[in-house]
Amino acid sequence: MLELRLVQGSLLKKVLEAIKDLVNDANFDCSGTGFSLQAMDSSHVALVALLLRSEGFEHYRCDRNLSMGMNLTNMAKMLRCAGNDDIITIKADDGSDTVTFMFESPNQDKIADFEMKLMDIDSEHLGIPDSEYQAIVRMPSSEFSRICKDLSSIGDTVIISVTKEGVKFSTAGDIGTANIVCRQNKTVDKPEESTIIEMQEPVSLTFALRYMNSFTKASPLSDQVTISLSSELPVVVEYKIGEMGYIRFYLAPKIEEDEEMKA
Amino acid sequence: MCYLGGAPKIQRPGARKNSTGNSPRPLLPPSPSPPPPSRTTAVVAGEMGVKGLTKLLADHAPKSMREQKFESYFGRRIAVDASMVIYGFLIVVGRTGAEMLTNEAGDITSHVLGMFNRTIRLLEAGIKPVYVFDGKPPEMKGGELAKRYAKRADATEELSKAVESGDAEAIEKFSKRTVKVTKQHNEDCKRLLRLMGVPVVEAPCEAESQCAALAKNDKVYAVASEDMDSLTFGAPRFVRHLMDPSSKKIPVMEFEVSKILEELEFTMDQFIDLCILCGCDYCDSIKGIGSVTALKLIREHGSIEGILENINKEKYHIPKDWPYKEARRLFKEPDVTLDIPELKWTAPDEEGLINFLVKESGFNQDRVTKAIEKIKSAKNKSSQGRLESFFKPTVSTSVPLKRKETSEKPSSAAASKKTKSTRGRKK
Repeated sequence: MLELRLVQGSLLKKVLEAIKDLVNDANFDCSGTGFSLQAMDSSHVALVALLLRSEGFEHYRCDRNLSMGMNLTNMAKMLRCAGNDDIITIKADDGSDTVTFMFESPNQDKIADFEMKLMDIDSEHLGIPDSEYQAIVRMPSSEFSRICKDLSSIGDTVIISVTKEGVKFSTAGDIGTANIVCRQNKTVDKPEESTIIEMQEPVSLTFALRYMNSFTKASPLSDQVTISLSSELPVVVEYKIGEMGYIRFYLAPKIEEDEEMKA
Repeated sequence: MCYLGGAPKIQRPGARKNSTGNSPRPLLPPSPSPPPPSRTTAVVAGEMGVKGLTKLLADHAPKSMREQKFESYFGRRIAVDASMVIYGFLIVVGRTGAEMLTNEAGDITSHVLGMFNRTIRLLEAGIKPVYVFDGKPPEMKGGELAKRYAKRADATEELSKAVESGDAEAIEKFSKRTVKVTKQHNEDCKRLLRLMGVPVVEAPCEAESQCAALAKNDKVYAVASEDMDSLTFGAPRFVRHLMDPSSKKIPVMEFEVSKILEELEFTMDQFIDLCILCGCDYCDSIKGIGSVTALKLIREHGSIEGILENINKEKYHIPKDWPYKEARRLFKEPDVTLDIPELKWTAPDEEGLINFLVKESGFNQDRVTKAIEKIKSAKNKSSQGRLESFFKPTVSTSVPLKRKETSEKPSSAAASKKTKSTRGRKK
């Protein structure tokens, strides 16, 4: 038996819009801790990790750890039928092969039930260790989104370099090159517009812009985005979901041909 | 492996719904042992290499085979049995009846066109192919090769009859069977691949075993072939349908030897014995023993020796001087080499490709130029790393909403409901 009531239903709508283009099918895992998901894109280059902690739900009942395989395009279709102010309840019975999304309007005058078929998905979980990152950049999510969009009109990849000067995003393409530098900016009156850079040591990595652009679809969830970089690790692009959790995107860097990974 | 005749039958599964697309695949109906989703694609008649093995594995080791998306091989090095794909191209690409695609001089170019396009498809998906070519066939294969030769000789005769009588259907049928991969075909493809910057490996003996050796030694991630004896040679991962044209929309099927052994509770030696009993290319099998019986016998007696001691020799006729030990040795210690140059995927030789493909083979210049652009941009893409290089797989602790352990109860409940309802109708 599973029953999760989320007053701020729009959060779930935004989560789905953020991940549905990256991942087709995925298992949602439900436990005492919360409602989570880990899934990779089909070429195993990017990974999305979602957590919505149980405390964030108005009502959270999950008798045992379980997973539900869903097609994210179809789930997004259903959630699009919920109003932005609706309360969303996710329900499933033991042994059932469906999940129900219930949408309640704020003044309780309309209740909609959408039942979706579950899927049997072979999930491939990766163990992601907690790591110290060489550089952590916090910046307005809208700004990051704009940068990725602008650079992708010039080139396919972005080099993200963090130095004492700030964080530099650069690209090169057939028509020319582009460099955008963001300096640290701790605006006191508007914390959501600040750019904060914590750097242990300078780092520079190359990533495919196609994926970065896909990650920025999570921007509506949070005013700020956190980009964590280390030369030996995939980048982490994190959007906080209010107080209740996060959505994290991991992207493997581009590697030099010479030091190419072994099969 | 030399495909001198005997067309490999390409698996055509029935209409598969909900396999990979957007429509949801509902959980399987409750039953004590739900059949694996793969089973529908698994049943093949007359497969290559080991007879009846795919079906046997689908039934007895379903976890060893998994449907994969073509894209999921991104960044992976894959060893491809070249003769097998060249054979396929000669049959399929630009052939109508006995007419083949040729250049101005009349030399066949189907294999070159096929190899060019299919390899680009792999490169565009970020896959790093290594093509392995056959050396000399092992002596043990003489019997099998003679059979194929005879078949082709028959087909050639039939074909000339068909051409005389103008029977289009028969021409189609028999011209397929006369197709043979020649040394020239192989040389053309090697030249093409080298110009494309794709590594080529020449096997001392059979390409199949050489591919397996590359995979065993971590030179490549998996072996792509349609020949099931890749597994017998011990390729840790073996994929089928990777080289199929995209238009066929057949999902890639990945087999893992370790899981086969785990599920069958076999050692590798027992698995090899099983394959020999099923029927391999190296020696005859025992008449009356198919794959299912072979599995049962190995489970009972442990090895071919054990079976020979216990089997009813009146009922089963064991071939005289049956060379199963030699076949076993060929599977266990095939003639392979690891003394090969480092596998490298380099930039294409544009001028060389234009010379070969446009000037010599008469392909359209615009198309070739565009294709070279594709190779170059794919090259750029291939520098993308995979997440598995950084994070290791773990096992998820949560169970599916619909648990397999509980599946028996609902099934009996469903059964009793059914009986009730029929009773109700009777009343």
